[in-house]
Amino acid sequence: MSDFKTSVAAATSGMQAQAARLRHVSENIANADTPGYRRKVVTFDAVRQAGHLNGQVQTGPVTLDQTTLPNIFDPSHPLANEQGYFEGSNVDLVIEIADAREAQRSYEANLKMFEQTRQMSKRLLELLRR
Amino acid sequence: MYDQLAIFRTAASLATHAAARQSAVAQNIANADTPGYKARDVPSFADTYQRVFATPLRASRAGHFLPGETAHQAPDMITATRPGAQSPNGNTVSLESEMMKAAEVKRDHDLAITIYQTSLGILRSSLGRAR
Repeated sequence: MSDFKTSVAAATSGMQAQAARLRHVSENIANADTPGYRRKVVTFDAVRQAGHLNGQVQTGPVTLDQTTLPNIFDPSHPLANEQGYFEGSNVDLVIEIADAREAQRSYEANLKMFEQTRQMSKRLLELLRR
Repeated sequence: MYDQLAIFRTAASLATHAAARQSAVAQNIANADTPGYKARDVPSFADTYQRVFATPLRASRAGHFLPGETAHQAPDMITATRPGAQSPNGNTVSLESEMMKAAEVKRDHDLAITIYQTSLGILRSSLGRAR
């Protein structure tokens, strides 16, 4: 049974990490037009317990994408400088959508493992019946 | 008591092995996007089962341990021998092959449980009880 416990824990941590990633993707998309916004990047780390990998995953600290912000020409914008430019955000919608898709796929894979582990432990416990 | 019958012992070992492998697959899938993670697996059932039962020992005294008592221990996890292609961030998990492994694990576990259940039914019948 302890193996089932570790698989369920691993699948749950995977789903949590992917959900956090998806949340940051949606934050980025929501702020795609915010001037001066830098897109957030989520990192994944394997969890270590007493120096050993325990198979779980967690999201590391959120970092900001350091690519240069694009200069957008719009003299009527309140933030525009003397030349008529202001700094936009470095969010690329194509990258965000691709990231969201990948997060969704990984989430589904983890969910499938969760389901399967549950089925297996259920069958095992059915042996005790009768 | 059921350990003494080879078929129960084999089925229980196979179920234990499937559970251990399931745990390895779940961990790999959870870490499918972790940079630098190396895919893990457990040795095949044929290898682990044979290692335990290759040299059949007999207990001639009460204090002796039979190898059968260690058969139910889950095999240790190793780095996968044939992992998927390494992605640029050093991760070697391939979701597709993990899915295939998961299907194999499910089949192995179902097989073990079914054999165990059927053997139990035969045992019950031989005791003269209704199944």
